[in-house]
Amino acid sequence: MACPLPVVTVKRALEESPGEALKVLLDGGAPRENVTRFALNRGFSVDEAEMDGGYAILISGAAGETLAKKRQKSGETVMLVASDRLGDGPEELGRLLLKNFINTLVEVAEAPDRILFVNTGVLMATEGSEVLEALETLGNHGVEIASCGVCLDFFNCKDKLRAGTVTNMFTIVESMLKAGSVIRV
Amino acid sequence: MVKDGDFIAIFNNIHRVMKAEKILKEKRLSMLLIPAPRALKSDCGLAIRYAETDRNAIEELLREADLAPEEIYRKDGEAFTRIDAPSE
Repeated sequence: MACPLPVVTVKRALEESPGEALKVLLDGGAPRENVTRFALNRGFSVDEAEMDGGYAILISGAAGETLAKKRQKSGETVMLVASDRLGDGPEELGRLLLKNFINTLVEVAEAPDRILFVNTGVLMATEGSEVLEALETLGNHGVEIASCGVCLDFFNCKDKLRAGTVTNMFTIVESMLKAGSVIRV
Repeated sequence: MVKDGDFIAIFNNIHRVMKAEKILKEKRLSMLLIPAPRALKSDCGLAIRYAETDRNAIEELLREADLAPEEIYRKDGEAFTRIDAPSE
């Protein structure tokens, strides 16, 4: 699995079975570091053992339960990025502002749970985008990143997606309706 | 966003940062426009980040284009060290 998929997969597993310990088998290097950092940041305990060809990482603790309860209460924060610009006005300024907005997300403590890219917003997650580094970092912090498949298809860049996964309108609509808050960018 | 050893150029003017980014991109120099770290004061909140390997090429090009940064810092651990001579 390429980064940040391991973190996203672990995050889902922890949310699906709150309170249960989770054993993850990983290669060394970035996935191991990212998964460990993610679990520790969320208040879990982490034990790891070296094994043939990689590591077994045991994630346990009550943090999962607390996290799941908090989620149920306040809901997820979903960010919808529907353009490659932030605000109206000069195009050049709008592009710069959106770039700076996404890069700033990395620097603040509260990240959204999910970022959905639609329309020209998907160009933020494709080859040549200047926020790929930020999106990778966000992904490694457990932020789910997904781009609208129709939009990627429209811009002929389905094979150029470099951050997150492809999603469809069902998932986009459902996650917006289920969210505690939706931030429209 | 900013790793140990990275260089940060501050311009204090949005038009100058945008111009600087444009000419550096045209020359395909490796850099990134980033939010200026909170520890550094920047009027426009933006900065250009680059690695030591690109430092000479980038700073020379900016000087030639009359876009020399207001201040240049290097990230050293948790701190930022000012490395350009403060202007007279």
